[in-house]
Amino acid sequence: MSDVMFEASGLTKEFGAVTALRNVSLAFRGPSIIGLIGRNASGKTTLLRHIVGLQLPTRGQARTLGVATRRLEHEQLARVGVVPDAPSFITWMSVREQLRYLSAFYPRWDMARQASLLDLLDLFVDADIRGLSTGSAQKLAIVAALCHHPDLILLDEPVSNLDPIARDQFLKLLLDIVQEDGATIVISSHVLHDIESTVDWIVCLNDGVVAADAALDDLKDQYAEWRVLARTRDLPDRFADVFVVRQTVINPRGARLVVRAADADLAAFQRAHDVDVDVAPLNLQGLFPILVNNGRH
Amino acid sequence: MLITIDLHSGVPAYRQLVDQIRLQVAGGRLRPGDDIPSTRVLSAELGLNPMTISRAYALLEEEGVLERRPGLALVVRANSRATSATSRVAQFSRAARPVASMARQLGISGKDAGEVLRRLIDNDER
Repeated sequence: MSDVMFEASGLTKEFGAVTALRNVSLAFRGPSIIGLIGRNASGKTTLLRHIVGLQLPTRGQARTLGVATRRLEHEQLARVGVVPDAPSFITWMSVREQLRYLSAFYPRWDMARQASLLDLLDLFVDADIRGLSTGSAQKLAIVAALCHHPDLILLDEPVSNLDPIARDQFLKLLLDIVQEDGATIVISSHVLHDIESTVDWIVCLNDGVVAADAALDDLKDQYAEWRVLARTRDLPDRFADVFVVRQTVINPRGARLVVRAADADLAAFQRAHDVDVDVAPLNLQGLFPILVNNGRH
Repeated sequence: MLITIDLHSGVPAYRQLVDQIRLQVAGGRLRPGDDIPSTRVLSAELGLNPMTISRAYALLEEEGVLERRPGLALVVRANSRATSATSRVAQFSRAARPVASMARQLGISGKDAGEVLRRLIDNDER
């Protein structure tokens, strides 16, 4: 049971002379928690906006819940929950009034979930919107996006303004929601450490190009760091083996390589170069520069 | 079932889970017929993505370590291959690789390293 929640094919988005997305083809399948990562201005927010039809492709196709995004109706949009990068609310309302106002638009709005989210995130319902801190406004945006049991949840930098405890609770909440509702969650973030513990899939954009689109665990399986130590003779100036992705430190006695190699490659490499190799796995932080580099065009 | 997952390690979370369950079965801490916690329970306990847990369980089923009976919890299979001597040695061998590499770097022979290991296992380290 893997449903395509969003699909782009040959999606290109230009803003005047700037190309924000270049020939993007991918599918978000659920249930899943997808981490959308990339450097500043890599196209993450532009891609999220295309999912709900806030922006339309210059060329190519975008379909959300099976419908072309230029023809999305309330029926589809009511199945989507969005936490935007800069949430805005009606400033003269209280938190309670704002949520009551929003609930009118969604037939599936769940008051019990609203109460438990407010409680979990420690948000006071009688507070005035205009008096909310940035962090509390972000919490309200999260509550507002999740009460109607959306099938597709888009979170643009949702943890950036949350304190460490709220962040932890929020990430656990995502795990609950994916289990309870079978939802698909797309979470864009720079805080790789936070999303690493939660996501199962990674989409990495670089300069508008898809640089990675794979299960996080598969990426961790594929790449590793090898610390290479010379045994009897000096190391070569550089290693030409096809599976070497990057060579960082290299001197006659030692080298640090990033490889995309199989177990059999390791044994052959040790014999061929007469070296000892310590294999160290790469976490998301370590993988990130390599993935970004793959997306160079 | 006592499992510890390092979510920020470069070792894929599914592999940490597979290795630890296989180890517990091989070592007899999990016995044939023992219930394995549901995806939901383990996800809440470890803060681990449910898709990751399903993937690990599917691999362990494929390996013949766990078995799913319709409508019932996942259980440890009887006569699991994980408990065989070959599998236990293979598990240990994988874990010992970094130690072997260190011995080579320190110029310690296989015989001397083996003696160190023997003392550690027999608990008479001096």
